Amino acid sequence: MLLIGGGKHRMPNSIPKRFLISLCGLACLASLGAQAPLRVAAAADLEPVLPPIFARFQQATGIHAEATFQASAVLTTQIQNGAPFDLFLSADTGYPKRLIDAGLADAAGTADSSTPILYARGTLVLWARKDSRLTPSLDLLRSPDLKRLAVANPERAPYGRAAVAALTSLKLYEALKPKLVTAENISQTAQFVDSGNADAGLISLTSALTPRLSASGAYFVIPRELYPPIEQGAVIVSSTKQRARAHKLLEYLLSAPVQLQLAKSGLTPVH
Amino acid sequence: MDWQALALTLKLATVTTAILLAVAVPLAAWLVLGRGRWLAAVEALAALPLVLPPTVLGFFLLVLLGPRTAFGRGITALLGHPLAFSFSGLVVGSVIYSFPFAVQPLVAGFAAVEPGIVDAARMLGASQFRVLTTMLIPLARRSLIAAAVLSFLHTMGEFGVVLMLGGDIPGATRTLSIVLYNQVENFDYAAANRTAAILLASSAIALAAIYLGGRPRGGRRA
Repeated sequence: MLLIGGGKHRMPNSIPKRFLISLCGLACLASLGAQAPLRVAAAADLEPVLPPIFARFQQATGIHAEATFQASAVLTTQIQNGAPFDLFLSADTGYPKRLIDAGLADAAGTADSSTPILYARGTLVLWARKDSRLTPSLDLLRSPDLKRLAVANPERAPYGRAAVAALTSLKLYEALKPKLVTAENISQTAQFVDSGNADAGLISLTSALTPRLSASGAYFVIPRELYPPIEQGAVIVSSTKQRARAHKLLEYLLSAPVQLQLAKSGLTPVH
Repeated sequence: MDWQALALTLKLATVTTAILLAVAVPLAAWLVLGRGRWLAAVEALAALPLVLPPTVLGFFLLVLLGPRTAFGRGITALLGHPLAFSFSGLVVGSVIYSFPFAVQPLVAGFAAVEPGIVDAARMLGASQFRVLTTMLIPLARRSLIAAAVLSFLHTMGEFGVVLMLGGDIPGATRTLSIVLYNQVENFDYAAANRTAAILLASSAIALAAIYLGGRPRGGRRA
C-alpha cells in the first residue's frame, strides 16, 4: 500500500523508496566485494584436516575456500574433464604429475613448474576397534585371530598402495591375500573396520586421529621403512581464474604454523 | 576380460530375481486381494528402498549385518560367517535394493485384472491361492515378465550397494559393475569400454531370452 500509494501520501511514500534504493545499492556493493570461493579438490585423507585450516585462512586473508573431498584418482578424472577447481591437493604426486603432463595443471611460481609441490607426507597405521580385543601390531598381521583385513584399493588409493607395499616388505602379502577386503578409498577402509565387519584395517593416521576413531579404536604406526613415502603433492589447475589466490592458499599450507597443525592432524610436515 | 566377474554378476542377478519373484508375487497378490487400510502402509514400505541412495543403503546394511548389532551377530552365528563381504551378503543387499522393481509392476498388473471375474471366482469358492495361480498370474503375465526383467537388470547394473557391502573380492563380490568402475578410475578406458560392451551385450541377450519366453505364439496381442 505504502509503496504503490498515490501522491497524497508523499512523505511515507518516499521514505521506503529511498530505503529500498539504498538497500539495492548496498546489495550491489556487497556483490562486487564477494568473489567466487576458491574451489579446492582435496584427497580423502584431508577430510578431517582441512576445514579448520580453511576457516583460519579465511580469518587471516578474507579468502573463502571450499573443499571437495574424493579419492585422488576421482578428482584427477574430474579435472581432466573440466571440473572448475582452482587447486588440487592430491594424496600422492603421481596424479598431479599426470595433470601437469597433460597440460591441465602446473606448479608455476616454484623452482620447477613441472613437478607437483610437496605439502605433506602421509602415515600408514594399522587400526582395530578396542572392543575387538585385538591389539594392533605387526604380530596381529601374522595372527590367526585376524580374519579380515581392510585396505584401500592399491591400484588408485595412495594409502592402499602403501599398505600392499608394507605387507609385501613383511612377506605377508601372499598369505594375507585371502583375508583382504578392498575399500574404495581410505575413509571407507576405516568404515569397514569401524562397523566391525573387518577385524583391522590399514588406514591413514589422519583418520585414526579423528575424535570418532580415536574414541573407538587403537592404532599402530607401520614402520616407515616398510613402504615408500606417501608424498602428497599439490598443483594449480591451469584453467583457474584465481591463480594468485590459489597460490596464497598453497603458501599458507606450507607456512610453519599450518605445517605444525598438519602434524597434529596426522600428516608429516615437509620441512 | 574378467569372465569370472561376468559369471558372478549373472549368478547374482539370477539368484536375486528368483528370490524376488518368490517373495514379491505372493506379496503383490496379498496387497491387491487383501482388505484393510494398513495394506497401504505395507505397500509404502515395499517402495522405500527407492528413496535411499544405494551407497547409503549399502552402508546401513554393512552396519546392520556387522557384529555390532544383535541382528548381525545372530546371522553370523546362524551361518558361521558374517554376511558382509560375501556372495550371500550381496544377495541380501540386492533383494532389498531391487525389491520395489519386482513389487511395483506386479501390483499394477494384478490390480488391472478385471475385478468382476476375480469376485466371481471367489464366490464360486476358489481359494486365494487358486485365484493367484489360475487367474492373476496368467492374466498379468506381462507384468510378471516386467518384474523379472527389471529385477534382473537392476541387479546386473547394481553398484552402490555392492561397493559398500562387497569389499571387492574376486570370485565372491567383485561384480562387473565394480570391475568397470575400477577400470574407469584407473584410466583404463579401453578395458572399460570392453567391459561396458560385455555388460550391455549380456544384458541384451538375457532380455531377449526372457521376452522370447514370455511372448505368446502369434504375437503379443494374440
